[in-house]
Amino acid sequence: MGEAGKKDVYGDFATLTVPEEHTKSTLNIFMIYMGVLAVVAAIFAGSALAKMYDAATMLEVAILGNVILAIFGGLIAYVGGSTRANTYMILRYPLGRLGSLAGNVIVSAIPLVVWFAVETWLFGLTVNVIYPNHPLTSIAAASIWGGLLMMITAYYGFKAMAILSYITVPFWYTLVVIGFFASVDLAGGFSKIWAARPEVIAPLGAGITYVVGVYAAGSVITSDVARYGRKPWSGSVAWATHVIFFMTALLFAGGVMTLLTGSPNVIVAIAQIGLGLGALLLAILGQWTTNDNNLWSAALAWINTTGRLNKRAWVVILGVIGTLIAGVWAGLWGMSLQPFINFAMMLGYFIPPVGAVIIADFYIFRPFVLGLKNPRERYRFGPGTKYYAINVPGIVAVALGGAVAWYTSTIGLGAPVINGIVVAFITYVVLITALHKAGMPWGLGEWVEKETGF
Amino acid sequence: MNLKSEALKAVSAMLALGLITVGLGFASGNYRGFYLALTLGGIIAASSAIYLVIISMKNAEDLKSVATPTIQSLWISTSMGLGYVVTAYAPYFKYPFTVATALFALGWIILGFGLAELLRISKASGVELAV
Repeated sequence: MGEAGKKDVYGDFATLTVPEEHTKSTLNIFMIYMGVLAVVAAIFAGSALAKMYDAATMLEVAILGNVILAIFGGLIAYVGGSTRANTYMILRYPLGRLGSLAGNVIVSAIPLVVWFAVETWLFGLTVNVIYPNHPLTSIAAASIWGGLLMMITAYYGFKAMAILSYITVPFWYTLVVIGFFASVDLAGGFSKIWAARPEVIAPLGAGITYVVGVYAAGSVITSDVARYGRKPWSGSVAWATHVIFFMTALLFAGGVMTLLTGSPNVIVAIAQIGLGLGALLLAILGQWTTNDNNLWSAALAWINTTGRLNKRAWVVILGVIGTLIAGVWAGLWGMSLQPFINFAMMLGYFIPPVGAVIIADFYIFRPFVLGLKNPRERYRFGPGTKYYAINVPGIVAVALGGAVAWYTSTIGLGAPVINGIVVAFITYVVLITALHKAGMPWGLGEWVEKETGF
Repeated sequence: MNLKSEALKAVSAMLALGLITVGLGFASGNYRGFYLALTLGGIIAASSAIYLVIISMKNAEDLKSVATPTIQSLWISTSMGLGYVVTAYAPYFKYPFTVATALFALGWIILGFGLAELLRISKASGVELAV
């Protein structure tokens, strides 16, 4: 049962606030975030830093970028922790109820299915590299059984994802550390790390922007997990800790391995030291704990967009689509996933601005303009709750922020992700405050929440 | 069942197993194997020691407050057990065959014992495994 005794018809409180008795410890939330981060793509992301910096500067850049991510995601996680609502429910306020449908599609409903497909295909590719020459380890076959595997925990929901994270996370990170040290050892030892450097050192800002861009979209949906936190700050603390310490470590590991060996592929490094089974488990468990979260969040978004079917049905539908794209489109037919990735990247310009309007609405507009000082009272949910159909300043701010992020990326001006965030934040605060002070409504139409929470 | 007593026994057993694996790593006679055992076994031993103190300070009547840290501790150790299963026979660590076999077996014991205790303590206390 969810808020006000309402039945959780969709599963995992997709349209309801999480009841007190279903909240989890800060450690639990931390483990889920760590599971999401436990993916080789995070290590690969460090590879780009190696082309820009030496090891010491890489570490500095990674820390600074991740501190920004910790603040951005931590602020959004606190919104979820205070209201016990997921991202798609929260968006009903800064974007309006109909506006939130567009927000859901931009933030999760489509991009997360694309990333699910990409990660599933990467999984197939990795398995094939480690164990070639077997019918079950061809890219197509491994993508399909991998995709089905990843659907299992998402199908059973938050508890199953947490259990998988508990068994996986300590093992996964330890094995990455072992792989990292082994590859450094084989490449000549630690003295070489500090001596290795690219020909030209890039400005610090470029690297910080890159680091922020890697995980900015993930920062926006922190509330999906943070709403389960026992304390309002559980999600923020868990998010900040995992980003500052572990994201930094993974980026640094990937960067250093690239500096020393030319490749950030920790899985290949682990396989090379005779840990074939370890490399396989690293690939399987790492992709699994990340991709089940992609699928689960996408399912929550689709429920909040359509109001039809339940979480399990959406997990199966989206999981099958993602798996077919990975296994058949890319694996069997050998077609490129780039069109899907390009589309998700295009949507990705608009995701950080969505986070910016959440922060602007919750931390500026509601407490300082509307006078709602208590965080728990800033958003209300439940049957009969009235929302604007469209929050005009929110839609304008996201559209403008996304457009600025996209445009500045094409002309190479500043940090596109940060540009989009700043523009969306300022636009929202200025527009909605001006409308409110002028005594004008800032929204259009009305939507009354149904018994199901939709 | 006295949950606190059972919890202390389970975590103490993990502490002992962790220390044994560190000892075996030391006996391997090379730095690679030793560092591996020091990492995996050290995490088991250190986390178990810390959680033993935490559990021993809990009120035995409050099942949830005893079970929660116990389950957290057992998850860490169990996950590290999987680490031994995977790494013990890898040539890079240069373990003598007997040491590798012992670590491989201990890895399975830690994994199996951990999972069994997790299920038992979760069932007895009503605290979820995803604590």
